[in-house]
Amino acid sequence: MNCAECKELLVVYVEGLLEESQKQAVAEHLKDCSACRVEAKELTRLHDRLVANGKVLAQSDLEDLVLNRIVREQNVRLKAAGRAGAALKLRRIIMKSPITKMAAAAVIIIAVLFGISQLVGPISVTTVTFADVVEPILNARTVIFDFVVGDEETSPVMHEIVVGTRIRRTISNLPNMTSIIDLESAKILALDTEAKTAVYIDIKGSLQEKTRGYIEFVRKVLMELKDSPDVEELGEQEIEGQKAVGFAGPNEEVKIWANPKTAVPIRVELRLGQLFVILKNFKFDVPVDDSLVSMDVPPGYTEEAEVDFTKATEQDFIESLRIWAKVLLDGTFPEAVGTENYMKQVPLLGEKLAPLDLPDDEKKQLGMKFIRGMLFLQIYESQGKWHYAGKGVKLGDADKAIFWYLPEGSETYRVIYGDLSVKDVTPENLPK
Amino acid sequence: MSETDTYYIERCLDGHPDDFRYLVRRYQAVLLANLAGKLGSKDTAEEAAQESLVRAYFNMGKLKKPESFFSWLLGIGDRVAKEHQRKEQLRRQREIVRSFSEEAPAPEFSQDYALESAIADLPEAYRKVILLRYYGEHSCNQIAERLDMPLGTVTKTLSRAYAMLRESLQQENEEIYEVQK
Repeated sequence: MNCAECKELLVVYVEGLLEESQKQAVAEHLKDCSACRVEAKELTRLHDRLVANGKVLAQSDLEDLVLNRIVREQNVRLKAAGRAGAALKLRRIIMKSPITKMAAAAVIIIAVLFGISQLVGPISVTTVTFADVVEPILNARTVIFDFVVGDEETSPVMHEIVVGTRIRRTISNLPNMTSIIDLESAKILALDTEAKTAVYIDIKGSLQEKTRGYIEFVRKVLMELKDSPDVEELGEQEIEGQKAVGFAGPNEEVKIWANPKTAVPIRVELRLGQLFVILKNFKFDVPVDDSLVSMDVPPGYTEEAEVDFTKATEQDFIESLRIWAKVLLDGTFPEAVGTENYMKQVPLLGEKLAPLDLPDDEKKQLGMKFIRGMLFLQIYESQGKWHYAGKGVKLGDADKAIFWYLPEGSETYRVIYGDLSVKDVTPENLPK
Repeated sequence: MSETDTYYIERCLDGHPDDFRYLVRRYQAVLLANLAGKLGSKDTAEEAAQESLVRAYFNMGKLKKPESFFSWLLGIGDRVAKEHQRKEQLRRQREIVRSFSEEAPAPEFSQDYALESAIADLPEAYRKVILLRYYGEHSCNQIAERLDMPLGTVTKTLSRAYAMLRESLQQENEEIYEVQK
């Protein structure tokens, strides 16, 4: 064998693919030829380098990442498909999932959520058979969970302790504020644990309405799920560090992850119109001292004048936009509005107002207007009949529409412009 | 894991999206090797690989020949890589405009970026064989079957690919040497 012949076979030799006779011939030649030996050594090195790199990359774990993305994407697509009446194939894929066995479990899991709402507010269960199923779960005396509005990564977390019709709430970005919410009397007792002040807030009206709407929503979803084959099984996944089995209702309005053995919920995602809500870290029936949810002003606290949040008007919302542009930003409207965005801004507003040369009372008024603005928006958030287009628009720009919404029972939209003027506009004349 | 691509593709189309995981397992290294060489940063390559696989999943219905899934997937990967490169270019241009901006943190390269970029530069036929052999853990016989070519052609392609890889790795070494001098 000469060098040319040898070189031609070297890669196959390194790969171990040569027949015995050829292999021996190459080995013989290598013994005598140092040039070919160097060549073989280099090829072996490259071979090993390829194998090593292949091994490293094979260790990457894209499986779960990719599958999670597929599930998410599929949900988005399904929604779009449902609207357009297209992509039947995709729909078929989901419908064929073997859900029958898990559907029963799904009802119970959602029933637990239902149980929470039962604790939160009044509702009458009309279907007796269903009530029978729910009964043992309804007996949960207390529920503790975390509540996130909007983006989980960046939004503040509300920690909720629910006892009967009362909720004790603390919020991660307002560390010294504690609220006790009494849904029966529609009042909030807001405590500033640092300044030791207490304020009663009247929330009859919008928030009360909203709570009712929320329960109605859960109930609707529940009933739909019970009767329809539309429950989508999301399979088993690791959620909040534990094994969980997931279900999604039609249109992705509700998604629930629960312990596969006990059916106790681990995580609930709700989409109410444009509002996205996550409930997690559930604990049931933990003994809670009644004093934690007492509506009395604690000893040592000074009570301040009662605050009225019963009416949140369009004017409040407009004022909140003005405050947002003027105080929080340098004269332009924010990138987005929504409960999530408002909640992030509340502590910042406090900081920005503090150094301003204004009477304390006026600062307080500004803060309240801002929160009322949020309450006003919440009414429309859950109905989804609003649109915000103010990103980057300057305060005072009368030519640009920044927000429009459809008031209940109205046929024309209210459109708010950059100079904060308002006009009634028919749907076909809405800004694009 | 031993089922054919066609089997898993049909399972997916038939309502078992979870079976896509076997295809991901089978081809993630191949995709990563191909993309890391083109994109440089490890994170970008992983992101692009995910994106390619997700796209593949949703376009599977359009794949006429399921047995050519691998080539098709590589094609998707190439398109995604191009998109990423374009985005990166734009970002850099913007960065230059904003000349006061601080220096961006250097991307984390994968362990053997030189090798991966050499692979990325191979002509397609050679690249496929290298990717399947070392990143898809195929034997030469399996490659022959998959790419529908005689075994002799596979080994010849492999030999030629080795030569090209060595050449481009050597060039790179020399370049580094030049810079150091």
